[in-house]
Amino acid sequence: MKRRTFLNVLAGIGVSNALPMTLISPAFGATPERFLITISASGGWDPTAFVDPKGNALRADGRGPINNYAASAIKSAGNIRYAPYPTSVVPPAITSPGHLDNFFAKHHQRLLIINGIDTQTNSHESGSRFVWSGRLEQGFPSVGALVAAPFASQPMAFISTGGYDYTASLVSGVRTSSAGTFAALAYPNSQFADSATNRKLGYFSESAYSAVQASRDARLARLQSAESLPIRSAQMQQLELARGSDGDLERLLAKLPVTVSAGIKGHAEVAVAAFASGLAASANLFQGGFDTHATHDVSQANALTQLLDGIDHLWNQIELRGLQSKVTILIGSDFGRTPFYNMGAGKDHWNVTSVMAMGAGVTGNRVIGSTSENFQALKLNPGTLQPHSLGVTVTPKHIHRALRDYLGVSDDLNRQFPISAEPLALFG
Amino acid sequence: MKKTTLHLLATYLLILLSLAGISTSTQAATGAAIPTFVYPLLHIPRIDVEGYGALDLNLQLEDPSRLILSISSQQSANGAVAPGATFNLQSGVMDLPLMRMGNNFYAVQLQSIVGNKFQVTQIKPAALAGKAGYMQMCSGCHGADGLGGTLGISLQNCGWCKDLESLAGYISASMPLGNPGLCVATCASDVAGYISTAFNVSNTSQVASTLGAIEVMPAAETLRKASMQLVSRLPTQAELALVNSKGDEGLRTVLAAMMQEPAFYARLSEIFNDRLLTNHYRTSNSAEAAINLMSGFPNARWYDPGKDLRDVIYTANRAITNNSVATEPLELINYVVRNNLPATEILTADYFMVNGYSAKSYGIADVVFNDEWDPEEFRPARLTGVRHSGLLSSLMFLNRYPSTVTNRNRARARVVYDLFLDVDILALDGVRPDGSAVDIKSAAPTMENPDCVKCHGLLDPVASAFQDWSDRGKYAPPTKWYADMFQAGFGSQSLPATHKKNALQWLAGQLAADPRFDTAMARIIYKGLTGQEPLNPPGASATTAETEAWLAESSMLDAAKASYKADKRNLKTLIREIILSPYWRADGLTDAGFALVHADTGSTMLLTPELLHRKLNALFGFEWRGPLDSYSTVQNVASSARLLDPRTYYQQIYGGIDSFAVTERLTDPNGLMANVQERMANEMSCYAVPNDFLVASASRRLFPYVETSTTLADDNSQSAVKANIQYLHRYLLGEELALDSSEIAYTYQLFATVLKDGQSKLGNKSESASLPARCIRSKDMFTGLSLNMTGGKDGRLLTDPNYVVRSWMAVVAYLLADYRFVYE
Repeated sequence: MKRRTFLNVLAGIGVSNALPMTLISPAFGATPERFLITISASGGWDPTAFVDPKGNALRADGRGPINNYAASAIKSAGNIRYAPYPTSVVPPAITSPGHLDNFFAKHHQRLLIINGIDTQTNSHESGSRFVWSGRLEQGFPSVGALVAAPFASQPMAFISTGGYDYTASLVSGVRTSSAGTFAALAYPNSQFADSATNRKLGYFSESAYSAVQASRDARLARLQSAESLPIRSAQMQQLELARGSDGDLERLLAKLPVTVSAGIKGHAEVAVAAFASGLAASANLFQGGFDTHATHDVSQANALTQLLDGIDHLWNQIELRGLQSKVTILIGSDFGRTPFYNMGAGKDHWNVTSVMAMGAGVTGNRVIGSTSENFQALKLNPGTLQPHSLGVTVTPKHIHRALRDYLGVSDDLNRQFPISAEPLALFG
Repeated sequence: MKKTTLHLLATYLLILLSLAGISTSTQAATGAAIPTFVYPLLHIPRIDVEGYGALDLNLQLEDPSRLILSISSQQSANGAVAPGATFNLQSGVMDLPLMRMGNNFYAVQLQSIVGNKFQVTQIKPAALAGKAGYMQMCSGCHGADGLGGTLGISLQNCGWCKDLESLAGYISASMPLGNPGLCVATCASDVAGYISTAFNVSNTSQVASTLGAIEVMPAAETLRKASMQLVSRLPTQAELALVNSKGDEGLRTVLAAMMQEPAFYARLSEIFNDRLLTNHYRTSNSAEAAINLMSGFPNARWYDPGKDLRDVIYTANRAITNNSVATEPLELINYVVRNNLPATEILTADYFMVNGYSAKSYGIADVVFNDEWDPEEFRPARLTGVRHSGLLSSLMFLNRYPSTVTNRNRARARVVYDLFLDVDILALDGVRPDGSAVDIKSAAPTMENPDCVKCHGLLDPVASAFQDWSDRGKYAPPTKWYADMFQAGFGSQSLPATHKKNALQWLAGQLAADPRFDTAMARIIYKGLTGQEPLNPPGASATTAETEAWLAESSMLDAAKASYKADKRNLKTLIREIILSPYWRADGLTDAGFALVHADTGSTMLLTPELLHRKLNALFGFEWRGPLDSYSTVQNVASSARLLDPRTYYQQIYGGIDSFAVTERLTDPNGLMANVQERMANEMSCYAVPNDFLVASASRRLFPYVETSTTLADDNSQSAVKANIQYLHRYLLGEELALDSSEIAYTYQLFATVLKDGQSKLGNKSESASLPARCIRSKDMFTGLSLNMTGGKDGRLLTDPNYVVRSWMAVVAYLLADYRFVYE
């Protein structure tokens, strides 16, 4: 209510045009009903060590094998083929949720694999930008920011823990921390926020605190009306918007574990709790360790174990909150890795990659797209999604076009950040 | 109307041209200030007229149908400008060999007629000699209009483009990208002339108009802002007096003194780390993050007495040593700036920096310290047999941007271009054809495939210059270097044979001589001081407002760079000039019509967690890290400071960086950050207000005019409260308000409301006289000793029987979360 009043004031004095269009759309202030989690396997993962396995046949050009495991050892779960661990790698504990066998056994029915995606680059910056914004050049927001834009007034609309999270000023990204931190912030007037018993003991009485807050808001409005410097005026608008979420964090606390886990697991816990509380619309999670220019097999497997362990934990959190039908998860990386080893037993950058999706809008146990025996992207028929030599090469922009369509990104935002690509029936 | 008339004029020009049947003339573009027609004025920067000397003329188009112009103004011309027109007294003919109108050029003759007027008698298009070459080889990246095209590399208002000789030399040596040598000699001279003439005409009046719309902050206000920004303290009375008496000149003097203070160097390190990100190796990320990089230095962990003997001294020495090693590159920058050395020395220094702790780790024994246990005493040092090259050879820099056997230092080269030349190599890659992002068919695609050469032609010579340094930053010259990549060099310069053994030092010299180095420094400093990147060149699709904004801002930065270069590339001068500029001091607009042009003008920014932490400390005399009664017992300051600790507290949430995964600061607050502000305001008011009343009024920071018993019972107390509110607005927000101002009245009203409400609750016992538990003051903040010493005065403050303390807490909390407090 306060925000709408504020926006009416802005409109009255003719400054609403300065706001991002999403902030003045009818959805303003609404609670998100669909959620998106993007997980960046940062550094460039190797699909051939994962969901686009090739095996150790020697290449005709003398560059050796693509993988250090036999093609005959390639495994499958339902329709999804996945790589075994290379012969030199000690797999994680057989009980680990991050073990490839466990992960695919548990999740293959909900997984969509899109192989043969051409990122058209081998630069980390360009690749992550393309994969997460749908545009190779600079200037487009990450899809997480785009999805969160209509809910910019929520205190944690777009959670990001690193990687490509450019927002194009549509929404302010939020970083997370421990559960105790959230308690202190949920009850800023409490002297003992961590204690349910003493939480009510404030620095100020309720009436005094209300007076302080009302005075503060009135003062900001006065400053705004007197300000002639556009940048300050915009900053005051942002501050006003940020302040409008007082008290909402209490809902988050009720949904957080007592002890928030470390790393990607903890970020997953916060993101899902924020979704369940209606405070966030999207989250951008980050897992590094995939830039394996040396000792590729071991390093890539380690990074993959952590990633899959994190995804499994994330899904458990989603199930715990009953959000399976509302949360879409997209997992990808900057690009892929060469279909051969370098002199240091590593693999360098390669433009072909894969993306994995699960959750809302995803029909699982499905693989779309393919690559050649030497791991080059093959074209597909955009209508049937089957390989076709006269079809289109799938790029990240196709993924984004389909994802935007499914998530209902507004026409305004699509016009502001247009993506031109053939529609592919990937989601929904 | 304006457009119609201009169109009319153009039509007449075309008619005249067609009637005359005149062919296009080709003019050599000299780069001289040429006459320019912008409706309705024809401006001639210099015309020499016998008997009148060198004149700067303005002629106004009076009759578009007959092309008659009249002299509207004249003044002495700038003698440094080459004449762009001639006038023959006998024939009355004014000859303009080259006149610019929009993006086109014409050769024009005018005839003097009665009444100090001139009529156009002849006009023909003038094709500048370098235009064809430019369009063919350059416009793809720079745009036909020089505004940057799709890549945004503008040639308009390009400071060093005005030096024809340098520009021609640069074109010969380096352009076009990936194919240097295509345009040399006359071609390069002609293209340079075209760029200079077509894109770099004087825009002084336009820039002046843009800058004139900025309302500039008064000197005293600038002083407070600069003091907080640079040294995180309030100005002293002496500094304020100097600025009040001498204005900007006084400001220059004070700024110079501030830039000698240790706090300035902490701030400078923050500014540079936001780009270098070498603080990734500080203990805040891992206890021995930097030490762990020191393979090959057997004494790296000199502080470790062995597993069973480790004590608090070991812990302290480990932390100090690790941070001393981690901050070495930033300390080099500090050293260069502190000693007024040219900024280029951050690359060319043939030394690195150590203090007593890191010297032990490196095994350096020949550096003499005043105090080897002083962690702040950094001195230059050299490692035996190592050819240091400033930041480029820093162990931290080389590890922060590591290489691999196949990367071959290319990532380092990209960072060098970005940080030290302000060139984003990645912006050159564009969209590659499907499937060709990686070429494995060519034997050496980076040398043979034109798509690859475009970037690798720039990147790989720089990468090869790093060949003496291992993937993890160790000095280890290889026996041979890769033949299948471009060899060491820079631009079109190959590494001279005489420098084979110090390739990186040679590269540093090349970078230091490149004018783009100064642009890169200006970018870093401008971002640090304003929170914003300098505007990008406007590009082909820019609006007029965007173009005008960029022209004005880049002109300001050019002027700042000129001062800095004239002062031997002293970064202090660059900082000073940016602070004194109308952009940093922007306080409003004098003309609302410039709102679009000045959409990004100004330096007000959301304080970073570090700046806000220091601001609180400067104003209150203690840090935000918990109740004051336990202040002295907290051992680990870094992990208890609410705005510095990233894990338990708010450094990350409040938009800070960790120099690794999170490398960009948040510049706009979100809901969580607003709550951080609120908690900060509540806690700090709780701690600071009672604490201030512990001492006599003359020693107080916040309440010099009131006591805990000062209510609003009479006129005197009301006046005292108002005076103190006025003082608080000045002290905390830097606002100079009259006692009868509305803002004082609003704050007074808040005080009165809370006081009345509180006293009422005290009366009906619904609230206690005790202060909130976290706010009571019973121990000395710094010693932890009781304020109720046996036999002495009870100095504790436990209760608030009049509700005055809590009313002031409300006022202070109100001010601390104010826009003008959390932004600066």
